[in-house]
Amino acid sequence: MSNFFYVAPEQMIKDRAEFAQKGIARGRSILAAIYDRGVVMVAENTSASLNKISEIYDRIAFAGVGRYNEFDRLREAGIRWADGTGYTYSREDVDARALANYYAQHVGDMFSEGPKPLEVEILVAQLGNQFRATKLYRVAYEGTISDEPHFAVLGGDAETIKGRFAATETSPANLAVTLRHAVDALAGADRTIPVSDLEVAILEDRGSRRTFSRLSDAQVSELLSG
Amino acid sequence: MGLPLFRAQDDPGPSFVHFADAAGLRGPAALDGGAPHATTVVAVRYVGGVVMVGDRQATGNYIASRDVRKIEPADRFTAIAISGSAARGIEFIRMAQLSFEHYEKMTDAALTLEGKANYLSPIIQRNNLSTPLVVLPLLAGWDRGHEMGRIFEYDGAGGCYERQDFATIGSGSPFAESALRLGFRVDLDRAAALELGALALYEAGDNDPSTGGPDFVRNIFPLMVTVDQDGYYELSDDETATHFRTIAERRTASGGVAGSTLR
Repeated sequence: MSNFFYVAPEQMIKDRAEFAQKGIARGRSILAAIYDRGVVMVAENTSASLNKISEIYDRIAFAGVGRYNEFDRLREAGIRWADGTGYTYSREDVDARALANYYAQHVGDMFSEGPKPLEVEILVAQLGNQFRATKLYRVAYEGTISDEPHFAVLGGDAETIKGRFAATETSPANLAVTLRHAVDALAGADRTIPVSDLEVAILEDRGSRRTFSRLSDAQVSELLSG
Repeated sequence: MGLPLFRAQDDPGPSFVHFADAAGLRGPAALDGGAPHATTVVAVRYVGGVVMVGDRQATGNYIASRDVRKIEPADRFTAIAISGSAARGIEFIRMAQLSFEHYEKMTDAALTLEGKANYLSPIIQRNNLSTPLVVLPLLAGWDRGHEMGRIFEYDGAGGCYERQDFATIGSGSPFAESALRLGFRVDLDRAAALELGALALYEAGDNDPSTGGPDFVRNIFPLMVTVDQDGYYELSDDETATHFRTIAERRTASGGVAGSTLR
């Protein structure tokens, strides 16, 4: 006969939350904000090839913090879900809210039933058009989903960064201003992040179907100095 | 469809076709029950890119449609054309477009032109398993690594062959091919390649009942596209109309005879 020790559900959830939070806090944060013409996502990332921000679909982007292998699998699943849904129905039927809900269900299931909770936080950003609004959905490690009206911060230091960004950016500005505020908020007062350690991508209408684009170091430098 | 998660050992990788099969998105290919088909599309290499010209007619027992698009951008630097069953051809183009984009998003790197060409082979093979030669594509594009225009044609078994000069697909091929063989030179520039492509298609439309030539009554003209270092470009209706009007006027003047100059 095997022995099972009783663990109160409150205790179990507390332990699991602590475990996930610790994992997430080890990595750097990401800030995503709506600016006057689109959505900008800024991550502190020393790697130039292991991306934290990625294109999901024509008007949908993904950002993840925490364990790379875990959020990258979710990123791949997101691309597959979007391309599969667009193939089955139409490109306009691919909606970020549905994807964010699937992420929330999966992350939530892993939190309460998985062998260990996922140590990730996910952002699904959608650029609006005449059919849909511009949206930022944040999915936390325990599966809660929130619809952030103006900007969202993922990662361990989220509350501090949130406070710094909210203090400087009170309403959506242009890309250069929003990017500067975002980088300043990520860095804090006593630190500067070199441009080579920034991963920046935007969702913006530029006349073609796909709206996602990565900004090069040169483009980021220019925007920050302008 | 739920969130498609795979264990590492079952993961279909960056291929959309393999994912679609793993997720059960595709059924078995239908038999082609005499659905509308027939086509002529030509591709011509020139110094600095490739030209593609394709007719617009879908033919069953009668003309089913006069403004079908048989050439589409597969991505920014690749044009894809189809001949054969319209239903399966459109599905084929969709699958190619989706697959190239899917790969790019999954891996954050675009497929090479040769990679795209090879990727289509097994799709053709499978498409043509039950009914041979149902769909044959033609792929042409700008190879960004090697900085040149390249053309790939296929046979019914999925074989992929690169052509250095030009390629044709569809029922009007013999007539288009003749014009191309006589008119092709290795140092064609863009304008000359467009002119030769238009002429080849005019010949096919003139001789093959299943290929639609220029329709001056409805103002529907064959599609003309180029792919060069700046990407895929589709000529406007006015531009294509000018090409075909010039040919038609010359032919009218010569009493319908092509003449010794090939023009």
